[in-house]
Amino acid sequence: MSSPQCIDWQGNLACLQESGLVIKSRHVIGTKHVFGPDSDYTTLAISGLSLLSGEAIIKSIKIDSNLDEFTLQASGYTIDESGEWNVICDSNSASISISKSGILSWDVAGKEMDLEYYNQIMNAWENELSAVSQGAFVSEQSYRSGASSRINFNSQQLGDIRIWPPREMIGDQRPHEAEPLTKGGTIESWTKLSAGGAPSEFSLRAPILGGISTVYVRLDDGPCGVFLVADDDSGIPMIGNRVNFAVRRIYAQEGLIRYGLKVLLS
Amino acid sequence: MVDVAVVGAGQTKFGNHSLGLKGMWAESVENALASIDGDFDPSMVDEAFIGSIAFGGGQIGNTAALLTEHTGMDNIPVRRVENACASSGFAFRDAWMAIKSGQADIVVAGGIEKMNDLTPERKRYWLGVSGDTEWERLAGLTFPGTYALMARRHFHEYGSVHDDLVNISVKNHMHGLDNEFAHIRKDVSFDKAKNGFMVADPLTLYDCCPTSDGASTVILAADHVAKSLTKDPVWVLGSGAGSDHLALHDRPSITQMIATQRAAESAYSQAGITATDVDLAEVHDCFTIAELMATEDLGFAARGEGGIFAREGMGRLNEGNVTINPSGGLKSKGHPLGATGTGQIVEVFKQLRGEVENSRQVRDASIALTHNVGGSGATCAVHVFGRELK
Repeated sequence: MSSPQCIDWQGNLACLQESGLVIKSRHVIGTKHVFGPDSDYTTLAISGLSLLSGEAIIKSIKIDSNLDEFTLQASGYTIDESGEWNVICDSNSASISISKSGILSWDVAGKEMDLEYYNQIMNAWENELSAVSQGAFVSEQSYRSGASSRINFNSQQLGDIRIWPPREMIGDQRPHEAEPLTKGGTIESWTKLSAGGAPSEFSLRAPILGGISTVYVRLDDGPCGVFLVADDDSGIPMIGNRVNFAVRRIYAQEGLIRYGLKVLLS
Repeated sequence: MVDVAVVGAGQTKFGNHSLGLKGMWAESVENALASIDGDFDPSMVDEAFIGSIAFGGGQIGNTAALLTEHTGMDNIPVRRVENACASSGFAFRDAWMAIKSGQADIVVAGGIEKMNDLTPERKRYWLGVSGDTEWERLAGLTFPGTYALMARRHFHEYGSVHDDLVNISVKNHMHGLDNEFAHIRKDVSFDKAKNGFMVADPLTLYDCCPTSDGASTVILAADHVAKSLTKDPVWVLGSGAGSDHLALHDRPSITQMIATQRAAESAYSQAGITATDVDLAEVHDCFTIAELMATEDLGFAARGEGGIFAREGMGRLNEGNVTINPSGGLKSKGHPLGATGTGQIVEVFKQLRGEVENSRQVRDASIALTHNVGGSGATCAVHVFGRELK
């Protein structure tokens, strides 16, 4: 890597440096970086690693206890206690350093977030973690079995056809595993659900967010999918617009945070 | 092969009921029995199929056994049929097949749902259980969202507009105004429907059906039995069913319902008719966009012209070739999920016999159709009925 390159990356602020990368949430309260409405250290780390992987080979990573090991593995990263890249969370700030040695630093201004809004969202996540389903339910086992497709676009192939989300049989044949899909697509439709129209899993946060937005996207590799919009982006989706994807929190239930790819509108 | 007739049909009022499952079922059976003019009692029933999602989990297992024992149909083969909102449309099809096969002469098909005795939180957990839970619900979708995606895409592909949906809402509320069994009986103006609270952009509250309690019962009989039970049977001329991918993302198009097309093609073929022969249709308008798409999929409008059909008021009572949802549809009559399919058949039974309120009677009706969709279109049952056997 050459001289530092500091950019907006997947809704975050990232700075590639000679020996690694620093990635921070774009949101600040005062001078402290804080997480956005659907972000945490794990989503920040996956975003940083995806940027770094364009500059360097990442064979394995070492992580700290702030990070969700399963989600990082589902994103395609090998976790090892002696991993060559050290992913270190700043416990005082929504910031992560990824390097082969030492902790990298970077000062950057962010966008001020309303303190009351931030507290409401964080409290909602805390309460959501202890919520129990009273009907429709995606179990932990079911979530985990589909996580690599939901988080990393792991796909299947049968003949010339790319398949996502995964299917068991097509006709009398089983598709075989294939490379992850590229993370780009085009909006074919969209909606914004009011708090009352959203599933119960979102009932604590949807009123704070003013509803949740969902888009129907045709992916560049062929399949279609339905995705939430990342970061509670208040922008209006447009049919025909190009979109990219980043991993964010989806919802929490019974002690488990579910993660998945969400659409980045801008 | 044996022909099948509907010899009796009845329902509860759809809406908010103080009665529980057993009470609602008994009321709908009593109303169905009262519609039979010949000598009949429930012990003559050979078999029963009862559609229900078992919304809320009050009685998920052995629902049919519990209900039939309270209505004098003891010791006969019964079962619950579950196919989302098309549960009782498929219960009716199963009943029709039981008679067609020669295994039974008199069969009950019905449906029931209790939806309004839950807390709002629990209710929202149950709404949308018939979508793809793992891949759609985890993306924040329940059915208002799913149908909103269809609506916006239809607008984009065909130039239909939200005002077309508003016309459907206004029409169905107008039709349901005098229906004594309807959940929401109020005149809704165009402006009110157009400017309703946004539920799932572009769908407002007035594009969405209510959640209702209710039960409906239909009694079918083989031709050699039917004539001894009633002087005025309504004949089942065709029964079609279809299915499609559950999730929107697996379908080749989200602006049409393949399951409806397959079901309609089969039902029309059996009945020996085309869409132009249908005088009235009870169409599954869980959302106004669903009725718009159904008018195309059932062949009442050309592909992409469902918006024009609605705009020009072609489905209004006695104004065009076909009256769409003279009962008020799901929008006004209500949508007690499992009871909706046979509830549609109760309506066409009465319409074809000239027994509904004069103000909403379809004139000179001889052919009627019911269209019952499961969820966002993964399943569909279409039935064609006539005053006369073809």
